[in-house]
Order: sequence, then C-alpha cells, then structure tokens
Amino acid sequence: MTNTIKVERAILDMTQEDLAQKIGVSRQTINSIEKNRYVPSTVLALKLSQLFGKPVNAIFNLEGTD
Amino acid sequence: MKQSLYESEKQKLDKLSSFKLPNYFKKIGWTIFGVTLILVLIFKIIENPNPIISTICKKGMLVGLLVIALAREKVEDEMIEKLRGKSFSAAFIFGVLYALVQPLVNYFVGVTINSEPTTYSDLGDFQVLWFMLFIYVMLFKLYKRIA
Repeated sequence: MTNTIKVERAILDMTQEDLAQKIGVSRQTINSIEKNRYVPSTVLALKLSQLFGKPVNAIFNLEGTD
Repeated sequence: MKQSLYESEKQKLDKLSSFKLPNYFKKIGWTIFGVTLILVLIFKIIENPNPIISTICKKGMLVGLLVIALAREKVEDEMIEKLRGKSFSAAFIFGVLYALVQPLVNYFVGVTINSEPTTYSDLGDFQVLWFMLFIYVMLFKLYKRIA
C-alpha cells in the first residue's frame, strides 16, 4: 500500500513531529507510514483523513501485491 | 444482560493484558538487571557463593527484565503495540524451541566430549524465562530500530 502523507504534510507545511503530535502517535510511526513500512489502523487512517480534509482513498492506495 | 457480562469480562481482560508501567520504570528495570547480572557473574567467579543470595540475584534479573518489558514507551501508540506483539510471539516460540532443543544439544555435546556417561536433564525455569524475556527485550529494541 502506498500513501501521499508526505505530500499532504508538505501542503499543510507540517513536520513529521507536528503531524505526530496532532494525531497522537510518535514521529517514528509517521516516518514508518510514509516509507510504507507500517500500515496504520482504520482509526489512524480516518484521523489522517480528517486532518488533511480528504477521503481515505485519496491518501492511501492499494498496490497489486495487496 | 449476557452482552453486558461479556463486555465487562472483555474490558477486564483488555485492561489486564494492556497493563503497563510508567516510562521511568525502564531505567529502574535496566538498573536492577545490570546490578543483579554483575552480582551473578561475580558469584560465578567466587567459589562457594551463598546460595540464597545467588538465588535472589537470579530472581532479580528476571524481575529487572520483566520491569523493562512492562515499561511504557515515551509514546505508546498502535505501532509500538504491534511491535510488542511481534516481539512477544517470537520470544515465546524461540523460548519453547530453546527449552526443547538446548537439553538435547547439551546431552549430545556431553556424550561426544566426555568419556564418562552423560545424563539428560531439562532446562530449569530460570534459564527458560531469562532466555524468553531477554529475547523479547532485544527483539523489541531491534524492531523499533528498523521500524
């Protein structure tokens, strides 16, 4: 699964630390999600969706291997 | 009624399984572990150590590792929870394999090296628990680093 969190974060001019604090996770978790090493839970995906003001499908995309 | 009883039991179980100590307990755990490890090593070198003190030190090592394992991270989020789960399950499987295989290795090495008859003996609870907790702590550290 790929995601556009880094882009969305750049649009809002937020650091990983800012985003982590806003949704209540560690900076490392944000980094892992951005690098596609960790797939977030539905709750976390919805929090990100709410923060970026975009649907979950616009932020997370399934790949052929998923 | 049935549903509420189930919910209440589930909540109790969730609370129990997610029990964590505050973050500063990690330092306390490492201190207990370090001090007792040094004492255990000293007692290995010194002849005829007091068996009671030696036992207390071994239990202390286990307590230290358990405290480290139960100490909360600075930010305890869902990824950390997942890494904990992975580390616990891997440590459990390695622990069982260690308990099954290590006595056989000890026996066959004993038979090969010693000319005298060697007896088969299972591992003690301390060795197995120490191994499992240590593997858990190390795997959790490794998973966090590569996450």
